[in-house]
Amino acid sequence: MSKRDETLAGWAFAAPFAVLFVLFLVVPAVYGLYLSFTGETLTGAGSGLVGFANYGEALTDPDMWKSLGNTVWFTVLSTIPLVVLSLALALLVNLGLPGRWLWRLSFFLPYLLASTVVVMFWSWMYNPTLGLINGVLAKVGVAPVAWLQDPKVAMISVVITTLWWTIGFNFLLYLAALQNIPEQQFEAAALDGAGKWRQLFSIVIPQLTPTTALLVTLQLLASLKVFDQIYMLTNGGPAGKTRSIVEYIYESGFTGYRFGYSSAVSYLFFALIVLVSLAQYKLINRRSAA
Amino acid sequence: MSEDFSRRSLLKAAAALAGGGLLVGCAPGASRSATDLSYWHLLTGGDGTVMAGLVDAVNAAHLGFHATQTVLAWGPPYYTKLAMASAGGRAPDVAIMHASRIAGYAPGGLLEPWDLDLLAEAGVHESDFPARVWDKCHYDGKLYAIALDTHPFVLYYNTEHAEKAGVTEALHSLTTPEEFTEVATKLQQVTRKHGLSYGYLGDGSQMWRLFYTLYRQTGADMKLVPGRQAEVDKDAAVRTLTFIRSLLNDKIASRSGDGGTATSEFLHGESGMFFGGVWELPVLKDAKMPVDALPIPTLFGTQAAYADSHTFVLPRQSKVSPERRKHVYTMVAEILKRSVKWAGGGHIPAYQPVAKGAEYQALKPQSNYAGIPAYVNYDPEVWFSGAGSDFQNYFAENVQNVFLGSGDPAAGFDGFVARLNTLLNRPQPV
Repeated sequence: MSKRDETLAGWAFAAPFAVLFVLFLVVPAVYGLYLSFTGETLTGAGSGLVGFANYGEALTDPDMWKSLGNTVWFTVLSTIPLVVLSLALALLVNLGLPGRWLWRLSFFLPYLLASTVVVMFWSWMYNPTLGLINGVLAKVGVAPVAWLQDPKVAMISVVITTLWWTIGFNFLLYLAALQNIPEQQFEAAALDGAGKWRQLFSIVIPQLTPTTALLVTLQLLASLKVFDQIYMLTNGGPAGKTRSIVEYIYESGFTGYRFGYSSAVSYLFFALIVLVSLAQYKLINRRSAA
Repeated sequence: MSEDFSRRSLLKAAAALAGGGLLVGCAPGASRSATDLSYWHLLTGGDGTVMAGLVDAVNAAHLGFHATQTVLAWGPPYYTKLAMASAGGRAPDVAIMHASRIAGYAPGGLLEPWDLDLLAEAGVHESDFPARVWDKCHYDGKLYAIALDTHPFVLYYNTEHAEKAGVTEALHSLTTPEEFTEVATKLQQVTRKHGLSYGYLGDGSQMWRLFYTLYRQTGADMKLVPGRQAEVDKDAAVRTLTFIRSLLNDKIASRSGDGGTATSEFLHGESGMFFGGVWELPVLKDAKMPVDALPIPTLFGTQAAYADSHTFVLPRQSKVSPERRKHVYTMVAEILKRSVKWAGGGHIPAYQPVAKGAEYQALKPQSNYAGIPAYVNYDPEVWFSGAGSDFQNYFAENVQNVFLGSGDPAAGFDGFVARLNTLLNRPQPV
């Protein structure tokens, strides 16, 4: 086979994916960017090009900022425990507990569930009068909490559900990374008189840095894009305290019919995600260069 | 060589399959005959079963067509899909829409008006509908919907508890909020738990239904015109919200009742009354509990009831088959004529020959509230209001705290009105 043939064959094999990629990702993305400069609506009753009006409105829209604030708050509340707790769980399981497969399975299993199933399950757990959580709390004399309806706790409830649901993935990555640390390092450290804590901070955590960097990046992006569990658990309520920016984009476009405006908000959000990713990239690169 | 050949032919076959699939995907309905009707609705649960039965019955009558129903999830998922299908011109032949959503769909050209002559040919006339319901189906002077029912928010009560508490008579003649509170308190003394069940937590529709019923009972109106400030009566709203909050005191009714909790509480006899839509009736009847239903009593002087109607609409199609369209008229007429079955689900039939018929009048407790269409109140007419709309979410966002007892009624209502004004100020997207 000549070089040319090989190139052709390569393109041919990549073509099905490339076509779908262009058709369902590139074209909509470019079209969305165009829409963000128009007053387009669902019914096509839009007002044509409006320049930067949508962007201007978005930047001065209190609901946009509130939703963005909620999203950032969710990201902070979820990312930290999702990284720290998953490391703790992985370390515990890696201690060599008996029945390690059972722990691995039980931490990872929720991750395999569909969001609808998770939400169904947790909606019952959180039910203010019939739910398991308030039932247990009542036994120890704690007054019932409206987990998903009280503006002060709704976001925490969403975070707990998210933790339970997704921590298994991080846990598994950490566990795999832990098992890759050569045993000799621990032996050598032990010979030098390093205790377990010393080993943890001088060997384990530094060795896990690439995994941690990867997890933080993935987690930040995933948390910023949160939608389904919140939409189903609280529909953005109570009092809009859990409405995420993605839900706001969805509502502006699909129930508020303002495609142009919702495209503008989504492009602003896209810019934010690019910024976060760039900052992450810089940080990790600096660390690995050091 | 032969291996190469077979691999290549496999790829070719795959490509052909994929291409073929795409082609078919691009031309839906090309193979659909003029006798196949597509019918979309959002009726699930008990309503869904009854509707499926009606469609089957009409199909079985051999009227020259066969309707296929597509059932989608209630609320935004349904309305968004219907709007998108209509905007794309490839909508179903006929669909169910809440009367309260017509104002959001008719002006954008997403619906087509019904032809009164064709309707008359199918045996359906204006005189067959209650005036208020018939009027609601219009937009800009044109008929955009044919009502199947009226489904109000009503008051259920446990007849045994009421008897025991000695309030059966009183329930039928309540005229003030104080009297209502007194009856609820007496019922609470019988059940020892709650006098009233009302599920609203996390559910904007439920909050709105009760609020709007009582708000309209004060004689207040709510007019929403794009480009203008919302016309509302704040005093009436505060009065209404204050009364609702006084009921949700964990004694008369649970402060943290959601839909499921309220229904199960009432079903288990742990309360004497229950605010709910008529569509809850089948569940209560199946439980074989001693239940009766009434319109929500007039507590603030003016007879008023929140309700909506399921209606038949013609979503916009870019290519209309006149033949299929004609079948749609027949299908709708046939379902209307059989709507006493629909009334089994609690709904009040809109079609008067059925509503006035002996069979419906004998249905209990349905016929107790059969008079509601005469004074029914639909949502304020504006593009963003109606069943399952963001409008109800905005209401919930601002008043749930009031219902929970932690928010100030005036501030909650002001927040809602401020949100309405923002929406009214924006360019209308339909």
